[in-house]
Parts: sequence; C-alpha cells; structure tokens
Amino acid sequence: MELEMIDLTKKFGNFTAVNHLNITMNNGVYGLLGVNGAGKTTLMRMLCTLLRPTGGKVTCNGKEIFAMDGEYRKLLGYLPQDFGFYPEFTVQDYLLYVATIKGIRPAVAKKRVKELTAKVGLEKAAHKKMKKLSGGMKRRAGIAQAMLNNPKILILDEPTAGLDPNERIRFRNLISELAEERLVLLSTHIVSDVEYIANEILLMKDGELVHRGTAGELIGSMREQVWKCCVEKKEVKHFMKKYKISNVKSDSHGVELRVISREKPDQNAVLEEANLEDVFLYYFGEKAGEDNAAI
Amino acid sequence: MKIMLQFELKKIFHKQVNKIVLFILAAVVLAGSCLAIRDVWYYREDGSKISGLSAARQLKKEQDKWKGYITEDVLRRVVEEEKAARVSSAGDEVLFKIQGYDDIRDMINIGFSEVGDYDYYMCGNITPDEAAGLYDRRMLRIKEEIKASEEKAGTALSEKEREYLLNQYESLKTPLYYEYAEGWKALMDSQYLSTLMTITIVIIGFLVSGIFSDEFRFKADSIFFSAKLGRNKAIGAKIKAGLVAITVVYWSAMLLFSAIILLALGFGGAGRMIQTGRNFSSIYNITYFQFWLFTLLGGYIGTLFILMLAMFVSVKSRSAVVAITIPFALSCAPMFLGRIPAMTYIMNLFPDMLLRINWYVEEYLIYEIGGKVFRGYSVLIPIYLVLFLGMVPVLYYGYKRVEVK
Ligand SMILES: Nc1ncnc2c1ncn2[C@@H]1O[C@H](COP(=O)(O)OP(=O)(O)OP(=O)(O)O)[C@@H](O)[C@H]1O
Ligand SMILES: [Mg+2]
Repeated sequence: MELEMIDLTKKFGNFTAVNHLNITMNNGVYGLLGVNGAGKTTLMRMLCTLLRPTGGKVTCNGKEIFAMDGEYRKLLGYLPQDFGFYPEFTVQDYLLYVATIKGIRPAVAKKRVKELTAKVGLEKAAHKKMKKLSGGMKRRAGIAQAMLNNPKILILDEPTAGLDPNERIRFRNLISELAEERLVLLSTHIVSDVEYIANEILLMKDGELVHRGTAGELIGSMREQVWKCCVEKKEVKHFMKKYKISNVKSDSHGVELRVISREKPDQNAVLEEANLEDVFLYYFGEKAGEDNAAI
Repeated sequence: MKIMLQFELKKIFHKQVNKIVLFILAAVVLAGSCLAIRDVWYYREDGSKISGLSAARQLKKEQDKWKGYITEDVLRRVVEEEKAARVSSAGDEVLFKIQGYDDIRDMINIGFSEVGDYDYYMCGNITPDEAAGLYDRRMLRIKEEIKASEEKAGTALSEKEREYLLNQYESLKTPLYYEYAEGWKALMDSQYLSTLMTITIVIIGFLVSGIFSDEFRFKADSIFFSAKLGRNKAIGAKIKAGLVAITVVYWSAMLLFSAIILLALGFGGAGRMIQTGRNFSSIYNITYFQFWLFTLLGGYIGTLFILMLAMFVSVKSRSAVVAITIPFALSCAPMFLGRIPAMTYIMNLFPDMLLRINWYVEEYLIYEIGGKVFRGYSVLIPIYLVLFLGMVPVLYYGYKRVEVK
C-alpha cells in the first residue's frame, strides 16, 4: 500500500491550511505531530476524500483517490477528530449500520462487530444507546467502526483524546498489533502516544511538513541540547524569557527546570538525554516571552 | 441494500420528535374524520336537527325514496314538491321535507342560476317543465360560462378549447343516477380532506427533512462519506427511506381517514357521478369513487414533489429547520395569500393545487398544448410527476458531491 501526496494544497479562501505537501507513505505507523491549527485534520480529510484539494493530488498505488471512488474508500478506515452518532442507535446498531455502508456482508458484519466491541472493551455497553455513552466510550466505538472493514489504510485523528490511561495503553497495543500489513496514520498532540508505536513521525507546522523521521532521528536532528538545572524561584521568570523550557518542577529547595538551549544555561546545569517532547518543543515551542513568564 | 434501508428507516422513526408528530397526525386523522361525520345533518319534522351517525341513517331513509335516474319526471317532481313544501311549512320545517332530494335541488339551483351566481331558491322560481330541461340547460350554460370568462379575461378561448369544453359536457351520460352518498360527500365535498393533506405533508416534512441533514447535525458525516458506499448506495437508501416514509404515512393517513368516514356513513353512492350535486358544472365526468381515487393520487404526486424538494433543500442548507419550511410554504402559503387575480395563471400551476383537487374540480381550468387541449389536472399531475422523478437524481448527486468541512 502506497499513499502519495503530490503537491497537496488546501486553501480556505486565501488562508492556506495545507501547503504543497509532498509525502509518500507505505505500510507502517505514521505519527502526525503538530500544534493546534497546523493542518492535520485538513490533511486527513483530504486523504479520506471528504475535502477536495485546491491543488495537487493524492494517489493510492499510483491511482488518484477521487477517481478510485468506492474502490479507494473500501480500503479506508477513518476515525474523525470531532464526530458524532445517531443518538437513538445502540452501540451494536451503530456498528452494524457503519458496517452496512462500508459494504460488509451482514453475516460477516455481525461477527466483526462482536469481535471489535470486545476488542475495544464495549461488550457491556453494546446495547446501550449511543447518547448514553461517556466521551471515552464514544471514542472507543469510533475506533471500532474505523476497524470494521479491516482497512488497509487507517486514518486516526487524535484517537486517544479522552481515553483513560488503561484504555490508552490498550489502544496503543491494538495499533501495534494492527500495524502489520497496513498503513496507519495517526495525529496527536500527545507525544508519548506516538513515541513508542510510530515507525515514523511527521512534524507539521502551518500546513507544511517541517521534519520527518523516526523518534531517534528526530531527536538527533535537534541543534540544541537539553539541560537540567535547579534554580531559585525568583529566577524562573528570567529563564522562561530566555529559553524554551520543557518542564518545570518545584520542590521545597527550589525549582528544577528542563531547558532546551545551545549553550549551558547555568553554572550547575547538567546535560540530559533529549526525548520526543523536547523535540516537539524545539520545533514548535516558543520562548514564553513577557506574558507567560508572569504566570 | 435492504438492511441499509431498514437502518435509515430506524433513524427516522426512532427520533423522538418524529414519534410525537406522528402521534399528532393520528390524532388529527381521528378528530378530522369525527368532525366530517358530525357535519352530516338530518332535520326532524319540527325543524330541529341532529347530526352524525343517526342523522346519516335517517337521511338514508329519506334519500332512498329518490334512488334512481334523475329523469325529466324526477326533475319535475323535485320542483313541485319543493314548492309544495315551502307553501305548507314554515322556517326550518321545510328542510325536513326537502332533504331526500336536496342534491337534485342543488343541481337545479346551479343550472338555472345566472353565471357567476348561485340562487338557493331558484327551484321555487321555475316551472316543473323548465326544470325538466335541466340537462339541455346545462349545455346552454357552458356557452354562457365561456362567454363570461372570455369577457373577464379579455381573451377568447381557441376554437379547440371551446370545442373541448362542449365536448366534455356532451359526453356526460344523462340522465344521472341518484342515490344516498353521504359517506362520499362527507369525504370529498368538505374542506377536511385537503386540510388533512396539508397537515400530513407538513408532518411528513418533519420526518424526511432530517434524513440528509442529520448526518451533519450529528456530525456523523465524516464517517458516512468516507465509507465505501457513502457516496452511492447509502444515498440511494436514504432516498428510498424518504419515499417509503412519505408513501406509508401519506396513504395510512388518507386511507384511515377515508375508512373511518365511509365505515361510519356507508360506502353507498360510490358509483354516483360527481355532477349530482355541488359539482354539477364540473368538466370531470367521474364517479365519487373515481373522484376519491383521483384526489388521493393527485395529492400523493403533489406530496412526493413537495417533500422531495424539502429533502433537496435539507441537503443544500444542511439544516432540517430550513427544509421544514418548504412544505409549509408550498402547501399553506398560497392558501393564506389568497389567489390574487393577476397571479391566477401562475398560482393555478402551483403544487398546492394537487392537494386540493376535490376543491378545484368544478373549475374550467384547461390548457392547450401543442394543438391538444388538456384539463388542468391532466397537465398538473404529469408535470409534477416528471418534476418529482427529475428531483431524484438531483438529490442524489447533490448529496454525493457534499464536502465535509
Ligand atoms: N472549513 C474551514 N474553513 C476555513 N478554515 C478552516 C476550515 N477548516 C480548517 N480551517 C483552518 O485551517 C487550519 C488548520 O485546521 P486543522 O483543523 O486542519 O488543524 P489541526 O492541525 O487539525 O488542529 P487541531 O490540533 O486543533 O485539531 C486552521 O487555522 C483552521 O482554522
Ligand atoms: Mg485536528
């Protein structure tokens, strides 16, 4: 399975949400990281044929996806970021309905629905109406519907938002398990979600791809280093203004800061190993500046 | 496909608001049919009156005495008896005597009144021999009617149009047959049926206006349109669900309303021509049963078209609330606006005409198209049938091209 974005562009009026993207993806798990408004959802909607690009195209194994129409959507599983249900349907009805519009034969659909409700831990809620589910349970139902047709291309827009830690781990394992033989693209702000399961991470900013690579490669790409230093409370403000700070921890002795900086920020600062969160901050973070420093 | 349709129907009929409006419709049907039944009056000898079921039974006894062909003799007798009744009784007591042949009286009143006028006492002003010539009088009257309407409109009818009207009158087989038909009259000759149609269409509007827009409202659109069949068969299922909902609810309401009235007042008179009463001058030579069928079928076509349009609007506006205004606007507004004379030609082509066939069946609405003359409804019904069928692909492709933003 090869999904190729060629010069892919989406404009809303004269605002460019996705800007001349050229990305090729094959089987494996891709993590799409970016701040709010980076264009992740817009990109995913185009990949799901929900939005027509204003420029460029997307091809699947060389064929244009809009031209493929149903043939392409047959391969697709999509979990939208913000989505809803038919309130009067039970979980089971809902999944059976989605299975039908995905063109799955009734007998197969029944089996798949049963399997997936178990897999996402919704067995007990199978006969509850959708409107009575909690936010996290709804998202689980969303994950289940995306998997119904055993998609070769799975697109998940912030799949872990609203899940509790147990469920988050369960979900990660599910994705890892699924990742073979298919292309999974998932967006998130939660770095740890992709740190372990993504084969490749795409960093997106202002509609453009700023960097891509494995977690290790991305960490290696940082031109600055991560330091840990303990400072007094009154000094924090000064540091915030001057550096990108990826963590602040207070205790009775003072404040422990995690600083991203080219040079040693403080006499007694010690070098730390960078992680993906530092990378996120390095690429997307801003120095807190006057306003935030006051907080 | 069948399962998809079932799910779409489930979406419609499990919605709380839809359950409520259907309940309201059921109540309206029951209330409407009871009111229609209550509108049947029987006058006792002392001039007091009763209504409803027992009135119908009494009335039938009176009218059965007049059952048969309305021949010259019968027409003579009607005028004689009415005159005698007016002489021998005072006030409402006379109504007791004439109710056996009141419809025949009505034919005579219409037939001998001036064009554009209706004289309730006409029967008393003509001789029995004059009355005997009612059918000839009817032929004469259409000519006067044509002249009057030409003067009013300022344009002459074409030769073909004139010929058509005369021909339509001539082909009515006389003498007409008379028998008790209060059931059909309560059903067809009152405002209840067209009012019920209007209410029904608005209520079905509630059911169908969400079929397409709810995907947006519930934010279920992303998943719907990214599914394999989301841009083809699933849309087909939605359209089918809409048609099923319209058909089932419309015919249930109409048949239930008709059945209640006819079971209460009797099916008798189904074969009576509609010209035997207030539609004496109609150019539609049909029986009450045909009239009923025609009215319901025409109403169905109008309903299909109007609601198809509502569904299309719900696709374009993505809002059920906006869509709901369509059946309101198209079925009620022309009624309130009144028929402005300058607009008559256009208004006569409005789809709400199809919801009021039983009301307009007495008008001489004809059109000449390509050298052939057609009656109003022979034009309207095919037009709206074609428009409705044309809406199907428009709706389908309109939804197919939707983007999720
Ligand atoms: N339908 C639309 N009309 C106009 N602008 C839009 C539309 N959809 C998105 N945008 C704009 O495009 C930009 C990218 O939005 P998008 O939803 O793709 O971001 P995102 O990366 O998914 O953000 P988040 O992390 O908050 O989900 C935003 O600035 C947004 O305001
Ligand atoms: Mg988003």
